[in-house]
Amino acid sequence: MAGKIKQMIDAFVNQRAQGNSVLEGVVKIKLILKGIDPKIYTPESADDPAIIAKLEELMKEFK
Amino acid sequence: MNIKTAFSVKTDIQDAVQDIQTQLGDFKTKLLIFFASSTIDPGELAERMEAAFPSAETFGCSTAGEIVTGKMLTNSVVAMAFNRQAIKNSKVEVLDDLNKESHRAFNAFERHFDKPMSKMDPKQYVGIILIDGLSGKEELIMDRIGDFTNVNFIGGSAGDDLKFKETYVYANGKSYTNAAVLAILEPSTEFSFVKTQSFRPLQKKLLVTKANESNREILEFNHKPAAQAYAEALGTTVADSPNHFMHNPVGILFEGDPFVRSPQQIKGDSMLFYCGVKEGIELTLLESTDIISDTKNALEKARSELGSISGIINFNCILRTLELREKGISAAYGELFTDYPTIGFSTYGEQFIGHMNQTATMLVFR
Repeated sequence: MAGKIKQMIDAFVNQRAQGNSVLEGVVKIKLILKGIDPKIYTPESADDPAIIAKLEELMKEFK
Repeated sequence: MNIKTAFSVKTDIQDAVQDIQTQLGDFKTKLLIFFASSTIDPGELAERMEAAFPSAETFGCSTAGEIVTGKMLTNSVVAMAFNRQAIKNSKVEVLDDLNKESHRAFNAFERHFDKPMSKMDPKQYVGIILIDGLSGKEELIMDRIGDFTNVNFIGGSAGDDLKFKETYVYANGKSYTNAAVLAILEPSTEFSFVKTQSFRPLQKKLLVTKANESNREILEFNHKPAAQAYAEALGTTVADSPNHFMHNPVGILFEGDPFVRSPQQIKGDSMLFYCGVKEGIELTLLESTDIISDTKNALEKARSELGSISGIINFNCILRTLELREKGISAAYGELFTDYPTIGFSTYGEQFIGHMNQTATMLVFR
């Protein structure tokens, strides 16, 4: 399977930023500092279970 | 005037606190932030500041040099007072053991402001973090804060005048080491942030392919020993490369804006940094530019965005301070802040969104 990480990153950025472009930038920087660089993931990127688990945890925490 | 600054270079703690109290006069202080040289006993200072301003919340930290309106200082105490017209609401919490979870502080904020951290509006609230500068925990704490809230936390790592023995944070009459102070403020006025670093990116990329993240150690760049790859990017030898650390750090580039990571030392084939970097992240080699003109431009931009500035808290990296001292331009840096009520200090690390080096992060109030 491929592309799940990009989908999750997009969903995470939307969840946090709610369409605010400044916040979108901040959320992406936070992801980069965690070691997840949004720009390297595409719809063709392999589904790395470790990254997917990390993103699932992040989405759960920001409630 | 709803924000007022004061400073003292008196060596006796009681005299210094009284000096600040006198300068603030009958100002109705609701919140007092202060930074002090490590030459001043932290416990006694925290206690006396609290006693001198009984109706205010007080917090601050030890430094490696202080900044106040128009001046860079050493061996002093600088303070910024806010009245009720400046700050509607505030809550100060201490993380008194950085090895433990920070949930207790977040729960306290949620109770105080009566809303979940995740629902707090980053335009309405701002966070300040002051953290032990020798703890090495800045990334961890900033990461956890960022997981729970969109409120921006800005701040600095406490210093000890380059002794590198013990740094302190102060809150409500007490001093703490291996600790952090977190504060959330609800200012009455608009506020903004300055993040300025005097570097331009070069066309040299260093991908972190192996790192010991908890030690802030990079073992490999581009699948080569880190020390060798960094020296090659500079076009010099490994032995000579430490001479370039100050002027050629590396940075995570986001839309052209670098989040600087400063090399500390070569350790065998690897490199130690003052800031952690995760595996898989691409770094860019940087080259220094002019601190005075870059900072001046950043301040002018902030003033033009906000219309006017009523106060600045400046968290200025000690490596920038050392460069200013080395070039004999510390006074010129201080003078950039002559027109703005300012306090700040020379930090062992700067925080804004994350943890970084060789940067000045500033909280600016309209």
